[in-house]
Amino acid sequence: MRLVKPSLGAAPDEPDTDPLGQLLAAAARGDERAFAELYDQTSARVYGLVLRVVRDAAQSAEVTQDVFLDVWRQSARFDRSRSAVMPWLLMIAHRRAVDRVRSAQSSLVRDDRYAELNVERPYDSVSEQVEISIEGQRVRKVLHDLTEAQREAVSLAYFGGYTHSEVAELLHIPLGTVKTRIRDGLIRLRDALGVVTS
Amino acid sequence: MTPEVHALAGPYALDAVDDNERQVFEEHLKGCEDCSNEVRGLRDAAAELSNLSAVAPPPQLRADVLATIARVRPLPPVVDNVVALHRARFSRSVWQVMAAACAIIAIAVGAWGVQQHRDATRQVSAQASAVDQLLSSADAGAISGPVGSNGQATLVYSKSQGKLILVAHNLPKLASNKTYQLWMLSGDSTATSAGLFAADANGNAEVSASGDLSGVSRMGISIEPAGGSKTPTPGQIQATMAI
Repeated sequence: MRLVKPSLGAAPDEPDTDPLGQLLAAAARGDERAFAELYDQTSARVYGLVLRVVRDAAQSAEVTQDVFLDVWRQSARFDRSRSAVMPWLLMIAHRRAVDRVRSAQSSLVRDDRYAELNVERPYDSVSEQVEISIEGQRVRKVLHDLTEAQREAVSLAYFGGYTHSEVAELLHIPLGTVKTRIRDGLIRLRDALGVVTS
Repeated sequence: MTPEVHALAGPYALDAVDDNERQVFEEHLKGCEDCSNEVRGLRDAAAELSNLSAVAPPPQLRADVLATIARVRPLPPVVDNVVALHRARFSRSVWQVMAAACAIIAIAVGAWGVQQHRDATRQVSAQASAVDQLLSSADAGAISGPVGSNGQATLVYSKSQGKLILVAHNLPKLASNKTYQLWMLSGDSTATSAGLFAADANGNAEVSASGDLSGVSRMGISIEPAGGSKTPTPGQIQATMAI
């Protein structure tokens, strides 16, 4: 179920100041060149996230293709009063990446939940192809402001694709503690990065 | 709302929730502006994490993506209530729908309890707190879906409490010799009636029911002859929703 809130951000009639928003709006009118531009500006972050969760390059390419097809189809329905373009796009990517991992898992290890959760997944290993951008360096620096426990919970959930209940099981800590660590970690990240929510 | 629900803002913003938790939290978000604002900020922060894992995709992918989209037309914008891929998208919250539901008839069939309220005002506030109570249950779920061509229904339920509340609007008007019927569908496709209900002149309806929901995998709504049917009439099923 999707949630549609009465607009709390930008008024729908005002021009979009988010450059990605302008490209997406053009795509919604069928502008394929604008969509290609949107792809060029976002595909490394989308593909990289999918790859981190899914692991397999061929499958990650498939998932990424599905993500961009979905973004194209949903372009006219993007609600910028609820989210900026990039978080929206990454949310779609994360959801699909996790879906892919779960459907693969359910066919392979459906009968052994314990084994599934204890299979070794080095979530923080940085692939050598990763492009460390200036933004990446900034985020990495800020990430060090989080406590080790917060960083671990956030990383497992985001890059590992685990639900917070699974994170609790993996770390042998209470569910409430995981929720708090994730929330506090994200709050610290938000405040340190000075994320501007328009 | 309860601190427990509020604490889900972090996992939700990180997409670290299961489908059921996502539904419950999105239901909560509709009535909690603080959480909505927080989720937005936290989701922006989470998005920044992807700067750590950015990898250029295989060059061929760009051509594949552009070739694919060239053959697909973007969906038209949402003007009002338009059904999304799997689950319905609502522009009105359950609460508003409930406020609009003036005339409600819920007649139970079988073991299901009768709840019929004639005082619309008292009924709305009673139901709002009933929904609240259901949502606070640990296994609470909420799901929305289309009914017929324009109708929308939201089902809030708790299997452990054995309770459900169905709120629907824009239901098609029925002939006087027809009725809506709510069904519980189990895994082996057995349909058990959960009661009959009618919509008011504006197509709004609300049904509260209590009973054994264990083993029920889907709820269905059908149009049946007045008095209801033992099993759903083929071709008359207007909606099914997985619970």
